Amino acid sequence: MERIYIFKRFERFWHWSQALLIMFMLLSGFEVHGSFTLFGFENAVAYHTISAWMIITLWIFAVFWTFTTGEWKQYIPSMEKVDAMIKYYITGIFTNAPHPFKQTRLSKHNPLQKLAYIFVLVVINPIIWFSGWAYLFYNDLAVVGLQGLPLEWIAYVHVIGAYMMLVFFIAHVYLGTAGHTPTSHIKAMITGWEETD
Amino acid sequence: MKKQRYIIGYLLFLIGGVMVSSAGYASAKAETMQKPAAAIPATTANTKKAKSNSTADHSKFKELDKNFNSGPEVTKACLTCHTEAAKQVHATKHWTWEFINPATKRKLGKKNVINNFCTSTKTNETFCSACHVGYGWKDDKFDFTEEAAVDCLACHDTTKSYKKIPGLSGHPNYKKMEWPPHSGKFRPATDLKKIAQNVGQTSRDTCGGCHFYGGGGDAVKHGDLDSSLKQPGKYLDVHMDAKGLNFSCGKCHLSDSHEVSGSRYAPTSIDKKGAIMRGKAGERNPTTCVACHDNAPHKEYAKLNDHTDKIACQTCHIPEFARGPRETKMTWDWSTAGKLDEKGHPIKINSSSGAVAYDSKKGDFTYDRVVIPEYKWFNGEVKFTLFGDKVDGSDIVKINDMMGGPDDPNALIWPFKVFRGKQPYDVGNQTLAVFHTAGKDEAAFWGNFDWEKSMKAGMASTGVEYSGKMAFVETEMSWPITHMVAPKEDALTCAQCHKENGRLSKVAGIYQPGTNSTPILDMLGSIVAWLTLLGVIIHGGIRVIQSRKGA
Amino acid sequence: MKIILGFIAGIALVVVITLMYAADLMVNEYESPFGVEETAARVQANIQSLEHRGWKLSALRNPAKAVAAGGTNVLPVLLVEACSTTYSAPLLKDDKTKIVSLLMPCTITVYKKDDGKTYIGTMNSGLVGRVFGKKVGDIMAEVAKDQQVFINMDPSKPAPPLIRTGPGGGGGKGGAVDAGC
Repeated sequence: MERIYIFKRFERFWHWSQALLIMFMLLSGFEVHGSFTLFGFENAVAYHTISAWMIITLWIFAVFWTFTTGEWKQYIPSMEKVDAMIKYYITGIFTNAPHPFKQTRLSKHNPLQKLAYIFVLVVINPIIWFSGWAYLFYNDLAVVGLQGLPLEWIAYVHVIGAYMMLVFFIAHVYLGTAGHTPTSHIKAMITGWEETD
Repeated sequence: MKKQRYIIGYLLFLIGGVMVSSAGYASAKAETMQKPAAAIPATTANTKKAKSNSTADHSKFKELDKNFNSGPEVTKACLTCHTEAAKQVHATKHWTWEFINPATKRKLGKKNVINNFCTSTKTNETFCSACHVGYGWKDDKFDFTEEAAVDCLACHDTTKSYKKIPGLSGHPNYKKMEWPPHSGKFRPATDLKKIAQNVGQTSRDTCGGCHFYGGGGDAVKHGDLDSSLKQPGKYLDVHMDAKGLNFSCGKCHLSDSHEVSGSRYAPTSIDKKGAIMRGKAGERNPTTCVACHDNAPHKEYAKLNDHTDKIACQTCHIPEFARGPRETKMTWDWSTAGKLDEKGHPIKINSSSGAVAYDSKKGDFTYDRVVIPEYKWFNGEVKFTLFGDKVDGSDIVKINDMMGGPDDPNALIWPFKVFRGKQPYDVGNQTLAVFHTAGKDEAAFWGNFDWEKSMKAGMASTGVEYSGKMAFVETEMSWPITHMVAPKEDALTCAQCHKENGRLSKVAGIYQPGTNSTPILDMLGSIVAWLTLLGVIIHGGIRVIQSRKGA
Repeated sequence: MKIILGFIAGIALVVVITLMYAADLMVNEYESPFGVEETAARVQANIQSLEHRGWKLSALRNPAKAVAAGGTNVLPVLLVEACSTTYSAPLLKDDKTKIVSLLMPCTITVYKKDDGKTYIGTMNSGLVGRVFGKKVGDIMAEVAKDQQVFINMDPSKPAPPLIRTGPGGGGGKGGAVDAGC
């Protein structure tokens, strides 16, 4: 049994605050959309907006941190070993086969993880963020030359993004249990230390 | 250990952040609005006999120190000093009862339109002219250039004792008379000297003398104007609140040269140009909400300002009309008029609340109070169905049709009272009918209950001969709601629209978050999310089973 | 052990479900085809039609009026209050059931909602009565039967006049109903 320090303090703080905010925004956001009643429409809008600004603030820090520490390299995707990962999730994981990917400090995300995160970064987030801003500043869209853009379209795109994020969230939470042991990833995300083979 | 505390501390901070900011939002919301309007002293129109601020005490004028025999005599006395007043009044709608629509050039005004209440003033002038600012209009020979025929007192009385009686062609009663008819109550002769010596500015009582009683009775016509506005509580009208801002009508309906601003024939549906600075000359209507409140009046929750491009202030701030104790008339069915009892006498049947639900003279009525408006796009243009416009009974006739739609930059969603009825039309001539109702003559429907005679006399007054065949057609008339502004705490809440089947659910062309209006997207999104969850559960389940086997 | 835990869990579930729906069980709401005032007037007329079962109107209350006096708007609400000595007397005689006078007089509420429609609300007297034991339960079951008559809206009958008596009702003085319970 080996233990390596994978997630630094800021990373963990980023991860968990983002997790809380995303859960809260899914909840308040789908209420604004009309899927259910929980906080009341007025409050849901207010909470959703406040959390949006909080997550934006968080991301400013995160981007700064990622680049200054060189951690951005962790997110460069590659197709290497992707097939092995898929095979592992389809069969190996059930038969206690060894994990095809070995975490190191320099490479802490497995190839599928990298693909998933880059997808979040370049697809889901832009969809949500840009449509969200357009939603929030709908009446001032003329400033960026988008006057006349129907609110309905903006809302559609934003809701599509929300469903994508919901799917990511479900898969991500589950795959959090698919480490070396069911709890090893989660422990690592809390303490920073990951157990590996 | 230290690290963990760090994390927990941050999480608490995060949660706290959300809570504090939302609490701040809530308390800001609860804070009372800064009232720029409150700075304006509530002076003139106080209906309680306040000390007059006028520089003239009319009781000291010898021109007025005499016993007048008639209204025109008083007017002549007024005109000895106010030399231009009658000419000014002659130029107004209050006098001409005529309005030329600037867009269509069609002739509107009380003299020309046919509504679905008492329908038409033609041939009924002796009664209708009780609300004309003049004396003596009893038929089409009335001289609209006669200066002495202007009624100054209808608007400038301050004693509340001046009343023009229907049937007297615009005159008050100069002799003691029974009023209301057959009530056994008597009105004393009008004390013209006392009234003339106490003239002053217009007030809620004088404007309301006609406008609160439109359609033939208190609260009948508009729904947002009735006698409860003479001394309203704050709940009924935040501006006119008798114990608060106490606005007179003229505070918003600024007048110049006897021309009163604000019009139902050419209303201002939208004004994007912000508050009007005092003294700034211009053609803009000073009677709008925007004229004082600006286009972005919501300081504490700015998102609300994002609504002002589509929604009139009135839509949220007058959540219901007829909120006072009076009921407003909602429907009028002329087709049932004329039923008589066994002895041949006209009958009246009361509703549960004591209002007249059936009257042989007029037909069936329904009423309501605290009415939830209907909402429609409106760009300020109103298209009337006038006499001669084709009516064939196949469709519901829109007495006035509100123009505008979601793609019209000048249209906003407005609240309306929609008044529905059935009324006579001339089948042969394919037009809404003018029929003769009031009067002591043989043809008046209210005396004889004979549609044929009434139609013949009424149609003749228009120059079109009655075809001999009449029927009843369903009609709708829309009244923009703009009075009875509620305190801001009573404005519509977000969720009154932002929910399924909310207040604006029938308005076309708007996307409202929270109304569950993307069913296909929601179905697809939910399917994908549920499938993911299902996949995860199956995957996890197999893992659990396999690991047990292994163990 | 498992059985006991399961049993406890079952009880907890029942309690939770009951609490969730308790409010709905205690009251009934019906839509009326008429306006608020006419609905209230019809309820009054229905109550008067059961005079042979001891029913008398005791008051008409208008709580919206008090709210308006405070400067705020609410949609119209009228409370029609009635009482029957046939049912109240035995309950008031017995020391054990005197406290049930809290539920007197019998109130029918008529109100308008944001959809513009008028609704009639009643207490679920049958169920509430049972909570207080057999005697109260039996009497309240009778009241519940009568309540079904109170809320009967028959459009073939003409609109009766609203009887405005009692605190907040405004209008008439005494007149038709001065007794009550």
